[in-house]
Amino acid sequence: MISVRDLRKQFGSTAAVDGLSFEVSRGEVLGFLGPNGAGKTTTIRVLTCFHPATSGEVRVGGFDVRTQAIEVRRCIGYLPENVPLYPDLRVDEYLHYRAALKGVPRKQRKSNVERAMERAGVLEVRNKLVGHVSRGYRQRTGLADALVANPPILILDEPTSGLDPNQRRRIKQLVKDLAQEHTILFSSHILAEVQDVTSRIVVIHRGRLRADGTAADLIAKGSSRTLRVEAHADAETLRRALVPIRGLSAPRTTDLGDGTTLLLAAIEQQGDLRDAVAQALAAAGVRVRELRVELPTLEEYFYSVTEGADRSEEGVA
Amino acid sequence: MNGTLVTLKKELMSYFYSPVSYLIAVLFYLWRGYEVRSTVRAFAVYQLDQDLLPSACFGLTSTFFMVLLVPGVLTMRCFAEERRSGSIETLLTAPIRDVEVVLGKWLAAVAFYSLLWLPTVLLMWVLTLPPFLDTHLEFGPVFTSYCGMFLLSSMLLAYGCFASSLTDNLLLAAIVAILFNLGLLKLPELLRQELGATAQEPLVEQVLSKLDVMGNFGQWWARGLVDTSQIWFYLGGTMFFLFLTVLSFGARRVA
Repeated sequence: MISVRDLRKQFGSTAAVDGLSFEVSRGEVLGFLGPNGAGKTTTIRVLTCFHPATSGEVRVGGFDVRTQAIEVRRCIGYLPENVPLYPDLRVDEYLHYRAALKGVPRKQRKSNVERAMERAGVLEVRNKLVGHVSRGYRQRTGLADALVANPPILILDEPTSGLDPNQRRRIKQLVKDLAQEHTILFSSHILAEVQDVTSRIVVIHRGRLRADGTAADLIAKGSSRTLRVEAHADAETLRRALVPIRGLSAPRTTDLGDGTTLLLAAIEQQGDLRDAVAQALAAAGVRVRELRVELPTLEEYFYSVTEGADRSEEGVA
Repeated sequence: MNGTLVTLKKELMSYFYSPVSYLIAVLFYLWRGYEVRSTVRAFAVYQLDQDLLPSACFGLTSTFFMVLLVPGVLTMRCFAEERRSGSIETLLTAPIRDVEVVLGKWLAAVAFYSLLWLPTVLLMWVLTLPPFLDTHLEFGPVFTSYCGMFLLSSMLLAYGCFASSLTDNLLLAAIVAILFNLGLLKLPELLRQELGATAQEPLVEQVLSKLDVMGNFGQWWARGLVDTSQIWFYLGGTMFFLFLTVLSFGARRVA
């Protein structure tokens, strides 16, 4: 449904997007991740025909954004980051206006608006001026606008930014429900919700693709599992006790101050090492307070391909 | 042209919701009412030629207020507000053409501006009735006067839209439009003074007389005379400024 090939967008001498390529298949929910300034919004604006690409080929719903902009815009429901609305219109007036602008036939307009309001959960504020509703309702009104023409593709640019946890939860649930009928590109930098809502994740940084895959794949590609041991022993005893265990590397110890020491070590082999570690510590006479394996997170992976990668490059330079 | 009609409807609605529109209407009607009443009384007292009444009414200060200030104030929001609030993004990503948006916004401004003038026709008619002037008023010149005002205002509103498309600052958009209107009203007079004898040459004189918008009003439109070259001047100006607005509005995509 969305195909981006070697996209480049330049503002003056600055390349906001630099040779980006990715695809989104029909029915997929793609998490579009990146730190602030990574080029997410610029890419989205090219997809929605708000900005022209400097070079590259972008097709949405099978249409070229350069030569078939009207057709592209017809198959997209777009929720921009700041949800710009007209404060002097009532919520249902605004949605009727947007439905008419998007070419929804007069006969279907009322039912489309009702359905969009119901799905986005704005029925209770339908008669209120847009300028008088809360941030959460504004966000949902914007979402109802994206849904009102029932387009096959939804592009949601940070739909949960500035919302409280309850509102975020509702939007997340709504996106999950919408995923059954629409192809969705969901941009955010809140990793937990992207992991929860999307079927695939694309990470961009400095306008370039840094990762593409399912959340599980990306986590697996990232940092290794970590063994965490808190025990009543000094650092040296603890290290010596774990020497026989194969597959542990780079142990780091911290004195916790109450006669206990914390040891963290990377696990470099498959399988559960906890039994072996427990036996080794018992054999060395070390009394254990806590023993567990910490799994890597998407956050760590995100850091490693964005800011972490920058630091490594700077270090090499 | 679905996009034009939808935009026209929404923009007209915005004019009726805006307190600025009501402020303009109240100021204009109070001022106009007072001036027309004084003019009609003068015509009755001094028994002047009734055919000159429309011409006299179009020479009133309230007309200058409507030509000089109102087009810029009405159109300042058209595009500047969309850019300031960011709603230009949802507008430019909707499946309509730029020209449809520009036409819709301009037509709404023309329609609202025309609605502001409409009650003044009624005012003139009421003043010819027995309790007031008790006379027959020739409505031909009145009709041509309003046609002329419609054409002139269409051009000024098109320019106002263009000024609004250049900035996201509403005040700046209004000032740029008002300065243009002021230039249009005062330029021929200033040029005549500066050029001196050269201004008397036939070609220069012809150009200056075409540019003299308010002079032409008194001499032609308000007397029931229609000069087709002026119609083309206004229509050409309107199309030119609308074309510039479409270019300027579309240029947002490149920014």
